[in-house]
Amino acid sequence: MNVSKTPFNGYSVKFSPFYEDRLAVATAQNFGIIGNGRVHVFSLPPTPTGALTEIISFDTADGVYDLAWSESHDSLLIAAVADGSVKLFDTNLPPPQNPLRSFQEHTREVHGVDYNPTRRDSFVTASWDDTVKLWSLDRPASIRTFKEHAYCVYSVAWNPRHADVFASASGDCTVRVWDVREPGSTMIIPGHEAEILYCDWNKYDECLIATSSVDKSIRVWDVRNYRVPIASLNGHGFAVRKVKFSPHHRNLMMSCSYDMTVCMWDFMVEDSLVGRYDHHSEFAIGVDFNVLVEGLVASTGWDQMVFVWQHGTEPRGP
Amino acid sequence: MATESSSPPNPPAAGGTPQNSATETVQPANEVKQDAAPQNPKSVFVNSEPIREDQVQNAVKFLSHPKVRDSPVFHRRNFLEKKGLTKEEIDEAFRRVPDPSPSAQPTVTNQVGQGVTTSTIQPTSVSQTPVPIITVPSSASSSMFALARSRFQWYHAVFAVSLLAASGAGTAIWVKKSMIPRLKSWIRWVVMEEKNGDGGITNIKPTLAEEAAAAAKAAAAAASDVAKASQEMMISRYEEKVNMEKFMDLMQMQVKEIRSMGSAIKHLEGRSDKIERTHLVEHGGHSGSITNLKPTYPNGHKPEIDSHSARSSLPPTSADKSAPPHPNSYMDDINDQPPNPNQQISNPRLAPRSKPWEGAYQAKTSSRGGFGSALNGEGGSDFGAQNNEASNQVDAQSTVPWWQKKNSRITETEYVEAKPGSTTVVQTNEQPPIQRTWVPPQPPPVAMPEAAEAIRRPKSKKEAEPVSQETSGEGFSAAEVTDELQRITKISESGGEVEEMHSGGQETNGGLLGGLKLSEIEEEPVQSY
Repeated sequence: MNVSKTPFNGYSVKFSPFYEDRLAVATAQNFGIIGNGRVHVFSLPPTPTGALTEIISFDTADGVYDLAWSESHDSLLIAAVADGSVKLFDTNLPPPQNPLRSFQEHTREVHGVDYNPTRRDSFVTASWDDTVKLWSLDRPASIRTFKEHAYCVYSVAWNPRHADVFASASGDCTVRVWDVREPGSTMIIPGHEAEILYCDWNKYDECLIATSSVDKSIRVWDVRNYRVPIASLNGHGFAVRKVKFSPHHRNLMMSCSYDMTVCMWDFMVEDSLVGRYDHHSEFAIGVDFNVLVEGLVASTGWDQMVFVWQHGTEPRGP
Repeated sequence: MATESSSPPNPPAAGGTPQNSATETVQPANEVKQDAAPQNPKSVFVNSEPIREDQVQNAVKFLSHPKVRDSPVFHRRNFLEKKGLTKEEIDEAFRRVPDPSPSAQPTVTNQVGQGVTTSTIQPTSVSQTPVPIITVPSSASSSMFALARSRFQWYHAVFAVSLLAASGAGTAIWVKKSMIPRLKSWIRWVVMEEKNGDGGITNIKPTLAEEAAAAAKAAAAAASDVAKASQEMMISRYEEKVNMEKFMDLMQMQVKEIRSMGSAIKHLEGRSDKIERTHLVEHGGHSGSITNLKPTYPNGHKPEIDSHSARSSLPPTSADKSAPPHPNSYMDDINDQPPNPNQQISNPRLAPRSKPWEGAYQAKTSSRGGFGSALNGEGGSDFGAQNNEASNQVDAQSTVPWWQKKNSRITETEYVEAKPGSTTVVQTNEQPPIQRTWVPPQPPPVAMPEAAEAIRRPKSKKEAEPVSQETSGEGFSAAEVTDELQRITKISESGGEVEEMHSGGQETNGGLLGGLKLSEIEEEPVQSY
């Protein structure tokens, strides 16, 4: 229903956990291969149709692959940048006074970042240097580094109920579950035969985790019995880039893929595909549910478009 | 963290079973999840399977394969992980297979472990004598190798020196062997010519003398050549040094220029963004021309690491991502370093909001304190500050509060820009779970008496639901939800105020069925008018 075009190719979109009508988009020039990056902060207009209004935007020297809103400060954004830095932006300050911090510790691209939604004091970053790092806003350096994966770590996700548990998805075809109090990973799930691009926890059942992979499938696992997936969702034509559980419904999930579609799934149902949106004309790379408004979803892709719509309606508008 | 230290072998991560969460709901609200951990000593997120012997056997066979032995330990571990072995199984397999290569720490510890285990296992095996001998040399060699690794540098140095000496000796011998025959043949050729010219044995002796003289001359010439060459090298080195110094001076000057430009930029940045951008581009171009004097770097992701030594003289501000400045028509020169790395992070304006999956418990606790805010007329665009502690709570899976919130959110997204005139619309916005830290002003006068009546006399729909004092509104089904949604969205489209109020009244009442205070507060303003 609300559409906007960004100058660069979209990589990630996240709704703000404080403001219903606010979202941030991470973009990178030249499909993120080389060039600058930009973080946009948009606001939903009062009309159901129409363009998003840009509140502020921040430029970076390299592409921004992912971002996360702070759960403790309403105006803070954390950006994962392709030059290995993790940058902290304050949307209340003008761009010349930003970024507030730039943490340069990863030796390769930072591909994922997630903020702790329960304890709200820390965040983790996933990088192509095979490590996951734990950070806190008030510390100048990372608190911990988790180095066990054998290949790029593509994403990290905090468990929505357990403040110390998070999962990481990697190109070594495994998902590892970590506990920040433990020295190493507590569980290794060899989820797919191909690289695993994303993982997300179910918000209503803390033992369920979904993984999306290059093998075009999405699998839902129960960590108590991780040998066999609970569900294996097929339907995408190409690698599935992201999968997200709905914050309002236990069984509802959303995914985006290189087949340019965004799909809605219900993994408890036999015929899991609930909806399919093909509004993008290029790889669909980012999706997100709005935590505060039920049914409101957003997606972005390499076609430089950002769509915000209600699930069940047409993304491009009536 | 004190609670966790109580049971080290099984980390007391917060238990995830539904049973645990049910017990947690009973407990008081302020209990942190970690405190609940001791109730469930085993975390759900840990492998609780016993070690599978067949998998370990397979892993041992795999690790014993000679080709596998040559691969790095990391790859072996990764392969086994991909095959689905747990950490314990992999560790057990590594323990069982003797691993002489000390390429990683776990294997070093395994070596020590192996030495012990192999010695204990040996007595039980059939071929006792050969096997210990094999293992002893292997362990000896491994220990030697380990030692060797620690003295790696010394051996390396000795080896290099001997190599150099050998090569020197070899070249000397080769020179002797090849130069002398060449000399001799050349002299003989000269002699032959002379013989042909003069023809006499008498020339033999002078030829010998000539040979010697010629050899001496050649040696002298060679020495002088060498001396000249070394002198030239010295001269060239000196010249290079002088050039370098000139170069450095130039660079220093340019650095100063860049610094002044940078300060000028910052000064101008304070004025406007656009002006700043153009200056950046200009100076980016300018600095691009300056930096082209340096050897061009590949436009990679690690400018600092690659060019650290060369950039040591540059100021830190330009040292970071200005690797891109050069042949870049496809990107701008952007300085994305923090302008003030010690800048204080401002305090949050809003308290964090609870998540929809965090349960109804926070609704109950905050409903006691939040009624005043529920009636507040000053909505504004600042959505209410919510209770932070609510977020730390418990795992009850009720869907009550977000359902209410969801309704109010939908209305908010419709109405948020339109200033709500009537108070009751705002009342729908302010939900009971919201707790404010400030005391709200007196609720505004009731604009429409029908609202007050509606609140006090809810429609039959709400009353029909099974309601207990504790659980407010849990009986609402999804159908109810969508009906409410549709009605509210229809109302928004029509823009009718009266209906809003009714829905608003129903909303607040439906949400606050458990609370009695609302009716009390409601009654006060009614009575005063």
